[in-house]
Amino acid sequence: MASPTTDVTDGGTLPVGTPPVTPWRDRLTPWVFRAPLVFMVMFFAIPMALTVVFSVFERTMFWMEPGFTLFSYENFFFSARLINFLDSMKYSLIAVAICFVLGFPIAVFIRKSVPQVAQHRVILLFILPFMVSEIIRVFALRPVLQRNGLVNSTLMDLGLIDEPITALLYSHTGVVIGEVLSFLPFIVFAGFLAMEAVPKYIFEVCDDLGVGPWRRFKDVILPLAAPGIFAGSVFIFVNGLGVALLPNILGGAGAVNAGLIATQAITALDFPLAMAVSAIMMATLMTLLWIGHKLFDLTKILSPLS
Amino acid sequence: MTKGTPDMTSPRPPAVEVRNLSKHYGDFVALRDVNVTIGAGEYFVLLGPSGGGKTTLLRTIGGFHRPTSGEVLLNGQSVGHLPPDKRPTTMVFQAYALFPHMTVTQNVGYGLKVAGLRKDKIAEKVDYALEQVGLSQFTHRKPHELSGGQQQRVQLARAIVLDRDILLLDEPLAALDAQLRKDMCLELKHLQEQVGITFIHVTHNQEEAMTVADRIALIANGNLVECGNARDIYRAPDKTFTASFVGENNMLSGKIATANGTSAIVDVAGARLSVDTRGLHVQDGQPVNLSIRSECVAIDHADAAADAHSIKGAYTESVYLGLTTSHLVRLPDGTEMISRVISDTDDGLPEAGAPLRVTWKPSDIRLHVE
Repeated sequence: MASPTTDVTDGGTLPVGTPPVTPWRDRLTPWVFRAPLVFMVMFFAIPMALTVVFSVFERTMFWMEPGFTLFSYENFFFSARLINFLDSMKYSLIAVAICFVLGFPIAVFIRKSVPQVAQHRVILLFILPFMVSEIIRVFALRPVLQRNGLVNSTLMDLGLIDEPITALLYSHTGVVIGEVLSFLPFIVFAGFLAMEAVPKYIFEVCDDLGVGPWRRFKDVILPLAAPGIFAGSVFIFVNGLGVALLPNILGGAGAVNAGLIATQAITALDFPLAMAVSAIMMATLMTLLWIGHKLFDLTKILSPLS
Repeated sequence: MTKGTPDMTSPRPPAVEVRNLSKHYGDFVALRDVNVTIGAGEYFVLLGPSGGGKTTLLRTIGGFHRPTSGEVLLNGQSVGHLPPDKRPTTMVFQAYALFPHMTVTQNVGYGLKVAGLRKDKIAEKVDYALEQVGLSQFTHRKPHELSGGQQQRVQLARAIVLDRDILLLDEPLAALDAQLRKDMCLELKHLQEQVGITFIHVTHNQEEAMTVADRIALIANGNLVECGNARDIYRAPDKTFTASFVGENNMLSGKIATANGTSAIVDVAGARLSVDTRGLHVQDGQPVNLSIRSECVAIDHADAAADAHSIKGAYTESVYLGLTTSHLVRLPDGTEMISRVISDTDDGLPEAGAPLRVTWKPSDIRLHVE
């Protein structure tokens, strides 16, 4: 497909004065990398910046108009929304902790005890839940957790409880269970990557020195795997704050998160408020990442052994 | 500090006694009925090809593997199924097995911290250990800021600081380059003499083994083939495998023609060679192996007198190796023999294919029967 003008190789001498014509293919190559950049700037960076701008706009009946008011922030910080937001932070943290306790040992086990060739296959198993739509996965929790659901009827049949536990669903507990279900694989992935920073021989050295399991975890694994664990935890925490679906299906009065607050604001056509909530969430995430970077140098995650 | 030579008259029990030790992995036999005794204060080397079982033996002594059968006694005590940290052994690993996030001082002191020693006591012992391995200036560096040799020295310090009296070294120099390996060999030897504890060192490198060892055990295919003083293993190998693995031996195979007590006549490639039987029991017609070190073999004219300590062959080529030159000679049966000489002249080399006679002193040829 080369155009005839590019055929200058036959004589071996280039005509002096005329710049060589670059084939269109060569000129196109850089755009393989520029195109995604343009896409991300247009559809991610600019909208994110606009979020902050829109959050100080004046609210109108169906949209908003340019202006400067902190009314939306006032509306957020001086209402039950702040309490709900702080609550959802608390329960997100609880979900992170549960995910870590359940998921990190799995990652350690896979790194330490599963043969190298099988490790990635085992990790692959944790991707399987994502083959099912999250709505279905989360919604399927309802018949398990509800008043006469699987958990309650089993406990009652076993005679462990006399009447059903209603706090399992439409509550913070339900949301936390949903968050653990949805995000557990992420701590396994993050932990698996983080454990790459823990060389395998370390365990034998620990055997030789007589380092017990708790010390081994505290003195050796944790400091080495910290950047990866932190990254996984931030991911879960931020999703716990932001994914509206979970409190929407499993939550109830008061059991909402920032994502649901924003969604509700949009439903109420209060766009500046929704933007303000988003801006606050972004600020939270950035602060967390900044703290994490100061503590662990997050660039290490991608170069564990160098 | 006591000098680290084994004292056979002392009532001290041997540092390590391995009795009828076997280790199986499913059908694979990693060690087969191994017996070995290692004296206290000895520098002992387990030498052999990769995958021969030497590391398995070392790790079984250290408590990282459980034997399938047999037992290990350390300082006269059966250690049964004691974990590594409850044994009087400690290990120096092949890879630079340091804690990447700790400084040199922390790495060396960690074992003592775990053992619950007081801080000032730890600092004192760590300083002393680092001084012994020559790393006193590097105390605050992290492992990635050290060279390979320095990292291995940190491992050594971490091991000797524990005051356990048997040090196990699993190919400790394998990851170092050739020159550094030579230097570290001598340092290891001197360190062992200084601290006076038992060193058991696994390697596949015979030069390394010769440099450091008081005694060497050859291990191949799960068997302990031969065990003896470093010099004896080189000069007077007993088994065919030892002769073929250690040094550069010419291996000839033949059949016993006549055996008469102390010496035997062996048919090899159309020649009748005389060899000392070394008290080995041989019968007429028995297939045997002969070995002669390449540096003991000389090349003579084709018309030199035939005797029982020479063989006819055809010159193949010479290989210049710097310090020495190897002359390759093909025997009538196709066996290649090497004569290695220190010589820096290229003059007077026979032409390829030229007939000649390969000779040696009667005492340089050894008989192997197995």
